[in-house]
Amino acid sequence: MTDTVKKRLIKFLVSLIIFGIAILIIVYNLRDNIVYFYSPTEIIENNQTGSQIVRLGGLVESESVVSDGDSIFRFRITDGQQQISVKYQGILPNLFAEEKGVVVEGIYMNDGRFIANKVLAKHDENYMPPEVIKSLKETGKWQE
Amino acid sequence: MSLAINYIANSLLILCLVTSIIQSRFLFKIKNYNLLSISQISAIQFLSILVSFVILIFLFITSDFNFDLVYFHSHSEKPLIYKLSGVWGNHEGSMLLWILILVLFNFLFSLSKSSSQKFKEITVAVQSLMIFGFVLFLLLLSNPFNINNENFNDGLGLNPILQDPLLAIHPPILYIGYVGFSLIFSLSITGLLTSEVDKKWATVAKPWVFAAWSFLTAGIALGSYWAYYELGWGGYWFWDPVENASLMPWLSATALIHCVVVLQRRNTMQSWTMVLAILTFSLSLAGTFLVRSGVLNSVHTFASDPGRGLFILIFLFIILSSSFLLFALKSERINKPSLHNISSRNTGIMVNNWLLISILIVVFLGTMYPLATDLLYNQSLTVGPQYYAISITPIIILFLFFMILSPKLSWEESKLLKILDGMRYILISCLTITFITTLYYDLFNVTEILIIFLSLILIMSSLTSGLNFKSTKVIVKSNFGQSMAHAGFGIFMLAVVSNAVYSQEKIYEAKVGSKLQLNEYIFDFKNIEKEEKVNFNSIKAYLSLSKNGKDLGGFTPEIRFYSDPPTITSETSIIHQFFSDIYVVMNVPQNQESISLRLHIKPFMNILWLGVVMIILGGIITAILNKKSYRENEIN
Repeated sequence: MTDTVKKRLIKFLVSLIIFGIAILIIVYNLRDNIVYFYSPTEIIENNQTGSQIVRLGGLVESESVVSDGDSIFRFRITDGQQQISVKYQGILPNLFAEEKGVVVEGIYMNDGRFIANKVLAKHDENYMPPEVIKSLKETGKWQE
Repeated sequence: MSLAINYIANSLLILCLVTSIIQSRFLFKIKNYNLLSISQISAIQFLSILVSFVILIFLFITSDFNFDLVYFHSHSEKPLIYKLSGVWGNHEGSMLLWILILVLFNFLFSLSKSSSQKFKEITVAVQSLMIFGFVLFLLLLSNPFNINNENFNDGLGLNPILQDPLLAIHPPILYIGYVGFSLIFSLSITGLLTSEVDKKWATVAKPWVFAAWSFLTAGIALGSYWAYYELGWGGYWFWDPVENASLMPWLSATALIHCVVVLQRRNTMQSWTMVLAILTFSLSLAGTFLVRSGVLNSVHTFASDPGRGLFILIFLFIILSSSFLLFALKSERINKPSLHNISSRNTGIMVNNWLLISILIVVFLGTMYPLATDLLYNQSLTVGPQYYAISITPIIILFLFFMILSPKLSWEESKLLKILDGMRYILISCLTITFITTLYYDLFNVTEILIIFLSLILIMSSLTSGLNFKSTKVIVKSNFGQSMAHAGFGIFMLAVVSNAVYSQEKIYEAKVGSKLQLNEYIFDFKNIEKEEKVNFNSIKAYLSLSKNGKDLGGFTPEIRFYSDPPTITSETSIIHQFFSDIYVVMNVPQNQESISLRLHIKPFMNILWLGVVMIILGGIITAILNKKSYRENEIN
């Protein structure tokens, strides 16, 4: 092995190690900050209660939206099989409506309620979040 | 009539296709007949696309619903500007706009006199090969001139959220940036083919690189400003996949512009410059078309069609594999042994290149991870903004440090102590300012203090290096563009950190006549009114703002109900003060008595945009002053 080849090999290995460590740190950090998405059925099955922030998506059940005043809203999200009661304080997005798709972010409590800190807005009135379409297809409630 | 237009437009596209084949003859050893010069043929390419684009604009303005594109994306009652922006508010039209810019750059370059004839011929040939690919795609898979046989009375309309003057100019500006890098890509391929990647190459490429970069920066900034006031979430950057898709080529392009400067001055970093040029263009392509393909799940995806994603992926694969193959074959030949000291400017720029690429990797992983888990484990998830904040902050601190240091280092060798000595006044004054602000605002977070301190030094050292203060007059130096952009970045970082720390938000369920309060600001809720406009109805709230009894102006947040297509949008209302924006959004009224209002105080927003504008101007100045400063340096 000549000197230049050796030098190059060392250079290559060192940068590979540094690069590898950097990627590991990033991925580790990534895993701490991901927010999982569940349908009502999945969230009950997985029993994802506790402190972790998750997303829940489905259809807003008809005649379930109640306004408590002070910008507090309660409604139920359904995937056709299970329903979850959601409580949210804040401004509802413009396209929030009964029997339309919705995604909320927050914490699933021990008593089976979901406390949302975000209700996600989408731009288009016909838009259905892909995750919701997927979960509705799984429960057979999806209609083209 | 419609049929005739359809024939004319398609013939023009085919004309462009044919001329592009003729132009790419220089890549193959075909006998040259020289009937027309390259710039003349480029002019035909450009004009054929320009005319077909004008035809499309004409169709939108006259609302010719015999054309599918107009039917699906326009409406006869729309104001003129939105008929116009409807042209590129959809897949086919934006594709034609993309090609128009592609041929425009090709034409402009064929007119330029900075490179040798042979170099120009090959560059135009590479560019024409790309034009050929895109025009073929347009003709076969996404033809904007398809006609229907129905007699529609009216169109389906344009998504109201896109009906915004800013969003009418955002796509063209962003596209000029993206497509500008196609020319850099062609220049790189030519450089590799002819093994001429040197000072000369950098001098030819530099104005184009800086121009494309400035447009890309401006395009991203416009999109961000739009999101700030239109989406009404109070933020200006959401780490949304589509935003990330435009940030990634920007990061790579920022590394590239610095490499081109090093190449021009020191004739080194050839391979790395080539890699960055290819990477930037590939990311630009991916940025435009992954967004359009609907692969990325995003709030910004409007005109999506998964079927076409495949073509783009294949195209991307061909470009990437062939250019990296060429690079692998030629990189030995273009590389010159670099002789530079460790404490020279090269090192500083190289380090910041690596830091930019690290940020790029962070953004890439964050964007792609949800896609990968969805495909591999069928698990849907999103990556929180916290991931980006935590990962990027330490990189930014190092980045700022080297941004201050690198311009102070000479190209040969420098003594660090001497630099420190030269900066002593700046260091002392910045330390004092940081100390006072820290105490005054009760700041105790070390990273925040560090970023503020480093940004301050960056601003001062950049400004003092770009301007020469003589006793009576101020002399603008040749590195003025650079120092302006660097100072702008310092101002930007300062504003980003302060904004993140001091933003305030409060939601009220308010009745007409009530007074709302946020910090020392009083919001007087005066009235609520219904209005009818040409293309929408609206509910408007009227509020007035005062601070310590002083009147500061009025707010009119609004909810708009559009009918074609039926959509509801909120219009935010912002009062811009020098140091902070006050921002009000209203909710769709749920009952008659009261409405929800969200109040925001967003400090330093004006200063943040000022920083961005300085960055863009810095790029433009460097692109224009290129030749002058090069000569100046040759004399020195």
